[in-house]
Amino acid sequence: MTISIQNRPRVGTIWMVLFCGMILSGPMLATDYLEEGDAQNGARTWAENCNRCHNARDPQDLRDDQWTTSVFHMRVRAGLTGKQTRDVLEYLQTANNWPVSLSTEVAQAGSGTARSGEEVYGRVCVACHGADGKGTVPGAPDFTDADGPMAQSDAILLEHIRDGFKSPKSPMAMPPRGGDPNLNQGEMEAVLEFMRKSFSD
Amino acid sequence: MKHRTRFFAGLALLGLMLVTTPAAAEDEKYEQLQAQVEALQEQLREVQEALAQYASKTDTETQVNQLKQDIAEAAAWKEPNTLIHMAGYADVGYTKQDSEDGSFGIGTFSPIFHFQYRDLVMLEAEMEISVNDEGETDTALEYLTVDYFLNDYMTLVGGKFLSPIGQFRQNLHPSWINKLVSAPPGFGHDGAAPVSDLGVQARGGFKIGDTYANYAAFVSNGPELISAFEDGEFELGGVEAEAFGSDRDGDKVFGGRFAWLPTPGLELGFSLATGKASVTSIEEAHGEEPDEHEEEPGDHEDEPGDEHDEEEEEHDEEELLVDFGSEPARDYDVYGFDVAWNLNNFLLRGEFVKTKVGADNVGVTASPGATWQTWYGQASYLIPQTNWETAIRYTDFDSAHSSESQKQWAFGVNYLFASSVIGKFTYEFNDGLPGSVTDANRWLFQLAYGF
Repeated sequence: MTISIQNRPRVGTIWMVLFCGMILSGPMLATDYLEEGDAQNGARTWAENCNRCHNARDPQDLRDDQWTTSVFHMRVRAGLTGKQTRDVLEYLQTANNWPVSLSTEVAQAGSGTARSGEEVYGRVCVACHGADGKGTVPGAPDFTDADGPMAQSDAILLEHIRDGFKSPKSPMAMPPRGGDPNLNQGEMEAVLEFMRKSFSD
Repeated sequence: MKHRTRFFAGLALLGLMLVTTPAAAEDEKYEQLQAQVEALQEQLREVQEALAQYASKTDTETQVNQLKQDIAEAAAWKEPNTLIHMAGYADVGYTKQDSEDGSFGIGTFSPIFHFQYRDLVMLEAEMEISVNDEGETDTALEYLTVDYFLNDYMTLVGGKFLSPIGQFRQNLHPSWINKLVSAPPGFGHDGAAPVSDLGVQARGGFKIGDTYANYAAFVSNGPELISAFEDGEFELGGVEAEAFGSDRDGDKVFGGRFAWLPTPGLELGFSLATGKASVTSIEEAHGEEPDEHEEEPGDHEDEPGDEHDEEEEEHDEEELLVDFGSEPARDYDVYGFDVAWNLNNFLLRGEFVKTKVGADNVGVTASPGATWQTWYGQASYLIPQTNWETAIRYTDFDSAHSSESQKQWAFGVNYLFASSVIGKFTYEFNDGLPGSVTDANRWLFQLAYGF
């Protein structure tokens, strides 16, 4: 790359104008304590971004407040948007405290309109488990493996979906109800039926 | 007689009736009273039960209210306006180089302090503490920035920051993240890739359709140059691309990085920096770089009571021969490309960085320009359903000085005790100047912990 000395001041001026313009336009949009994030989007963002640099950490490694500072640190480091930051934070803070999540979600279970198993899988599960059920993130199990998790009974699998589960060799845990607190019993049974039909048969 | 008998019988019957009628009425009243008493007893029992239930309910409500108060008090400090958190990483290890004895060593202890005010501001500071070969503890400030979150798409970062040129320095150098024990040649200190800088940055990310992009743009003091004096001539010794607290040449360096993620697992980045840099110190030929001396008047005046040995005074006199303040600023340009692709358990990445410093024809340390260039390609694979990870990396570092140039193959096997606790074994095949350190193969073991 060659930039002549004569052109350098112009490059610097243009750069400074752009830089100052960006900074000055920023505060007009600045807000504080924006809306809460979406845990499902957060799980997807977490799975798609964190592993690109480092092994994904277990959500239970840190408390809620520790995740807040850590995720904001990563927002700067990884160039995440504010929305992505809030989503990832919501996912981690949901996934790191199972008893509270469970009690909250049990209270909400049964509410909402029932979705089909395919719809639930496409919305909730696909980010980590993949459309082919083979997993898209390290540690996600292969549902097509005859000796894999699908070999277990419906009761056990429904318990894992409801309460969350961490595979012994997985670096990250699945949050209760896959991170969707509105997932009701009927939808959990429907998605399990869809998974059996899609990956086991 | 007969009539009299009937009369007395009637009279007796009447008397009996008169006597028995009040008794019957008394019985009926008694029964009524008894029924009323029983009813009252039943009502009393019901009232008592109701009272008992009410008392129990009141107790429960009291307990619930107390519990709510306790939770509220606990939650009040769960999310205060200011959060404080310490993260960071540390590592220890063992290194054995060909023809040398192996030795244990502490890599670094690098605590990172986070102070966050609401969702607006964060102060980040990383210390780098290590033990050198002489057993002394070296302490350095790796970075210190105040980050102001302007909006969802931009964060203003001011202070000493890791160079956003490429990915290794700003994202991958911590030992619990780096897949191999060592940094790729050219990406360490005094290499081809800038390490850190002092200035201001605008960073962030945004969506482009269904894809994402991220960026960093900065203005900084820029690097300083080291000149080397050998065989009666000056030559460019190196670029100190680390944050300096003053801008000797007065010319700022402008630069940044733009990256696009066409798919979630793939990141393509382009980096650029341009500006000026000037020589501020002279490296003794094949020796240690002397202490820097500002050429401001009075800097070399002896203060009353100061003790200077003869050697120091001679050294100072040599330094005075060069007035660094009048050395002309040279062109300084850096550009680079980087790619990272995460496909299930595979992680592929590569990076190229080139630093070019222009010539100086008029200064005391006048010398031709010089170029440093390095690139690496790396693949790592986390074996499914196990804690084992393998890694391989090839690096080609071309320095302006042939004694520093190096080609390297590095192979690694890692064991993940946890996601951020990693035992690493790396073997390096090094190809450099024959007989020099850069040519010696070595194996390294490291236990790294990110916390």
